[in-house]
Amino acid sequence: MGLVKKIVTWARIKSPWILHFNTGACNACDIEIIAALTPRYDLERFGVQLKGTPRHADILVCSGPVTKQIEDRLVRIYEQMPEPKFVVAVGTCACSGGVFNGCYNIKGGIKSTIPVSAFIPGCPASPKAIIDGVVKLLQSLEEPKK
Amino acid sequence: MIKALFSILIFPGFLFVSVFGLFAEFFDRKIYARLQNRVGPPWFQTFADFIKLLAKEDIVPCEANPRMFGLAPIFALASVITVFLYIPLWKTETLFSFNGDIIMVLYLLTVPTLAFFIGGWYSTSLFARIGSVRCVTQLFAYEVPLFMSILAAALLANSWSLVDIVIFYTRHPLYCLFNLIGFGISLIALLGKLEKTPFDIPEAETEIVAGAFTEYSGRLLAILRLTIDIEMVVGSALLVAVFFPFGLTLAPITGFVVFMAEIMFVIALLSLLRTVVARLRIDQMINFCWKYMVPLAIFQLLLNLTLKRILM
Ligand code: SF4
Repeated sequence: MGLVKKIVTWARIKSPWILHFNTGACNACDIEIIAALTPRYDLERFGVQLKGTPRHADILVCSGPVTKQIEDRLVRIYEQMPEPKFVVAVGTCACSGGVFNGCYNIKGGIKSTIPVSAFIPGCPASPKAIIDGVVKLLQSLEEPKK
Repeated sequence: MIKALFSILIFPGFLFVSVFGLFAEFFDRKIYARLQNRVGPPWFQTFADFIKLLAKEDIVPCEANPRMFGLAPIFALASVITVFLYIPLWKTETLFSFNGDIIMVLYLLTVPTLAFFIGGWYSTSLFARIGSVRCVTQLFAYEVPLFMSILAAALLANSWSLVDIVIFYTRHPLYCLFNLIGFGISLIALLGKLEKTPFDIPEAETEIVAGAFTEYSGRLLAILRLTIDIEMVVGSALLVAVFFPFGLTLAPITGFVVFMAEIMFVIALLSLLRTVVARLRIDQMINFCWKYMVPLAIFQLLLNLTLKRILM
């Protein structure tokens, strides 16, 4: 049983498929996420692939504060992902609401709506920071094994 | 009995063909990445993807028809694996050969497309339905030139059996040169069958999310991906067997290695094609197939008929 579990964890770490979702960002964070996926950084080296549908994804990469309008959709996208799933909040806005915190149409950071596994601050977070954050998230999967 | 089970489950059946298919997907992705000046995935990437998907949650949408939704991928996988039993691998002989098996192989290769259609249709999602309708629309465009060009080669060999075709072309290697047009056409048509880039209209991720596979997750998605990988291997193996089946008369091991190398060569050609072209629209694709590929395939057929008159 232990071996099977080890193999599955290994496979999970080696093949994170991500879904990118803009929850109300100013678009700068999105550009940085896309930049992290370009041949310059070549995330396919680590098995990262950008998927179009939540059904295929393992990691939901959110950028921006949760607006009142996007709240239902965010929950729905999250519910559509198969277990085990993780959420990464990219950018200061996604972490806490950032400069938009307190606006009449803003609910707050991503964690005000769905559970978040990793926060990557920065305005906007640089591609290197995003990669670092995802790698740290994946490493945390491995930790309890040791 | 045990021998039959061994050939169905292990070699050259399920196990061998799955591992080979996953390896072929890695090979394809690596070439794709290298041609784009990237490093590309490591060798175990496709295996990790497969294991991870097997260990994920299976979601069946409550709107979907659970029976059809679950059965379609299994039908698709079973049919592509069956094809491999009819393809000569290490000698000019297959496990279950009969006169007319090339027709059966071609039809078995159509089953996955229909299964994708059924799976996509019964998942009742808007994107999946659009994707599955495009799948079938595309089928009508590439299937005709593919059949015509492969059967033209069979016509020259004067047989409907893959084994006889292989024996004929190993005996007369130069005759393969007459089939070059047919090879080009079937290579392009194979791209359509595998839903690869110029013809990846059914799963165009920038327009319709993931096409017919939109609602699939976990184990069923793993089966679907495996089906496409195996289809790639089987389709390339069919092209090799029909258009340049060299090396099969050598000793079993060398023959096997040469045949595998030829399959890899066809897969490399497919990756090259999918790197250098961009996606077409569905109407452009149908126009292209019926305006250029079908007339060329008819020309190949007439050429082979004339040649048969002259040479034999
Ligand atoms: S963190 Fe900065 S760059 Fe990112 S969405 Fe917020 S304001 Fe825009």
